[in-house]
Amino acid sequence: MDPISALNDGVEELRQSFDPTLVIGPFTQYTLWMVIVFVILLALILPAARKVSVVPKPGFGLSNLIEYGYSYVCHEMGENAIGRGYERHIPFLATLFFYILIANFLGLVPGFKTSTGSVHVTWALSIISFIYFNYYGIKCRGGWGYVKSIAPSGLPAPLVPIIWFFELISLCIRVLTLAVRLYGNMFAGHMVLGVFALATSVFIQSAIVNMSFVTALPSIGWFALLFAMYALETLFAWLQAYVFTVLSAVYVGLATSPSH
Amino acid sequence: MDITLAVSAMKVVGYGLGAIGPGIGIGIAAYGCCVATARQPELAGRIFTDFIIGAAMAEALALIGFVLTFIF
Repeated sequence: MDPISALNDGVEELRQSFDPTLVIGPFTQYTLWMVIVFVILLALILPAARKVSVVPKPGFGLSNLIEYGYSYVCHEMGENAIGRGYERHIPFLATLFFYILIANFLGLVPGFKTSTGSVHVTWALSIISFIYFNYYGIKCRGGWGYVKSIAPSGLPAPLVPIIWFFELISLCIRVLTLAVRLYGNMFAGHMVLGVFALATSVFIQSAIVNMSFVTALPSIGWFALLFAMYALETLFAWLQAYVFTVLSAVYVGLATSPSH
Repeated sequence: MDITLAVSAMKVVGYGLGAIGPGIGIGIAAYGCCVATARQPELAGRIFTDFIIGAAMAEALALIGFVLTFIF
């Protein structure tokens, strides 16, 4: 068996396995993984939230872990990015952060899929975030005040309509960039992992079929690449959850802060 | 050469060209973030948030290129 043609077939199979319209049971596959993430999230958070106490007790490790994560979202993301009045946005940001984090890390388990690797899920998330910060912007400043505040204050009068127009485009494009950043990173990352894993196995298989040890040698290099990419993807799984949440927080802060 | 293959190839090349500028931009932003954090470590959180905003704006261009490869 020729390793290169086997690799071609394998890549085609891999591409089909990422197809968002593939149906498993009552759901399409990404919906199924989304529901699984919800279940894991509820199973982790609900028991932990019930045991929250002022003084952390030994033996409640999970509760302390969740509390640490929540306070991380609260201080590192909310307080830095939003500024005054950040407390009421923390539940929304923490929900986004934990959902994306768990979905991304679940996708790293071999055989599992990440629900954020589907463009539909990330569009839904980014539209939720878009509506949220526009809603709070309008609530804080009133409708006309929010429309005016899109252009930064302190500009010379003739420039205001031009800058306002560009800022409006940049505001509307946020919904696209939030969605596509998460989707692109997750989908492409998992595709790369899949291709490297495939290349590793294809060379070993062809060595077994042809009974020649030398054919298996390239798979050592592919495995090293796979190992390095896996470490990088683990970083990216966290980083993309962080970036999505921080950018949502920053947009909320820009929409509601009085100085802008 | 097959015309659809040529079009797909041009899409990928176009995305690669479009990613050069944002790549340089994010590199400069990350450099500034590192230098600023080294000078004032106590402001690391705010500097990093500002870096994320700048990187997001630069990255928007690359992401638009990425989307255009799907649209056309």
